Amino acid sequence: MWETTIDGRTLHFHLAGINNQNFIMRDEETGSWWQQVTGEAILGPLKGQRLTRVPQDEISFVLWKREQPMGRVLRPDPRAAAAGRYAPADWETGIAKLPVATRIRDRRLDLRELVVGVTVNGHAKAYRMTDVQQQNPIIDTVGGVPLVIVVAVDGHSVRAFSRMVDGKPVDFFAKPEATVLVDTASGSEWDFTGRAIRGPLTGRQLAKIELLRDYWFDWRAYHPDTTIYSAGLHTAFFVAGYRAILVSSTNARSSFIEAKT
Amino acid sequence: MSRRLLWSLLVIIAALALAVVIVPAWVIQPFRPQSPRGLEVSFALKRLAPFVTIAALLACVALVVKLWRGARWSRVFLVIILLPPAVSAWFARQNHFEWMFNPLANAGYARADAASFVGDGDLVMAVARNGEAVAYPIRQLAYHHLVQDTVGRVPIVVTY
Repeated sequence: MWETTIDGRTLHFHLAGINNQNFIMRDEETGSWWQQVTGEAILGPLKGQRLTRVPQDEISFVLWKREQPMGRVLRPDPRAAAAGRYAPADWETGIAKLPVATRIRDRRLDLRELVVGVTVNGHAKAYRMTDVQQQNPIIDTVGGVPLVIVVAVDGHSVRAFSRMVDGKPVDFFAKPEATVLVDTASGSEWDFTGRAIRGPLTGRQLAKIELLRDYWFDWRAYHPDTTIYSAGLHTAFFVAGYRAILVSSTNARSSFIEAKT
Repeated sequence: MSRRLLWSLLVIIAALALAVVIVPAWVIQPFRPQSPRGLEVSFALKRLAPFVTIAALLACVALVVKLWRGARWSRVFLVIILLPPAVSAWFARQNHFEWMFNPLANAGYARADAASFVGDGDLVMAVARNGEAVAYPIRQLAYHHLVQDTVGRVPIVVTY
């Protein structure tokens, strides 16, 4: 998502082609070609210019609606819909089967593996979607910035936040039944928007960090120096720790139920 | 100029007109890797094509007129050979990517609570700017690829 005004001129874009499975757009005003994923003009009079990125979110509709009940939603184009041009609900499984045509030969991950990528202070890092889902939340540091990556209950909506609270990094674990993070410093509960909703830090807001859901080959093509997150001890420790809490609380609950019956 | 030379010229110009539009369409096709050099050549050809193909078509018409007299059985061929430059001149003015993925001419919007066309679990690309929030369902974006909008008074292009 990009701002279309550059040097006081508003550009109007058209689909103009494809570059290694990432599309190219052409602006009507100068005819320059722009790479969709980077917002950079790659050819033509504006070559080298960059559009300003607009912070975006890729989340499930139900979550968005809850957060933005007054928002507006793009309607399907009746002609495209009638012609059956729109992707089916399970489009991701279909896309996963499409061939990959790229010169990228970095097989650290499967080329069509779905990743979540973040770039902080020039450092790019990719997280396998399966890791993000299994280890929810991921506690990490990228480009010197401590961050947390969290998945909503729908299993698909992902957000990243800085873990800095009052100038200090905090750790989080997640309550699986809802999308709630708990920080280990104060025990406050934080919702999926990054706001503390219960506990001593209520009302505080974590700073959002931009992320991109992408396929490995595409992320790798535009972030050649990217590192890949590997499930480390830190997260394992938290997962284990939280499981222990869960198990003990479940035990307590079942013994309570036993006592009642 | 000998007739043979004029014939050769005609065939060469017709072939060149065709090449000017076919080369970029071939290089920039989905599911095929593109190199920076390939893109550069395609960009240059695409920019030149509208002029080059018209010039080629005019040259071919002139040659056909010149060869018409004296040609008997080969008049059919003279007509046929005008087709490639004519098609090229037309194609050079088309955006065939927009044939495949129609641009969204008049984007319409619904209120969040009235958007029954989106499934709860469907992913949306969302933006919030200066108090205005908009969601673009991925299933629609994946087809149109880009949508232009003004959100919170800022003109943007949503790309997918």
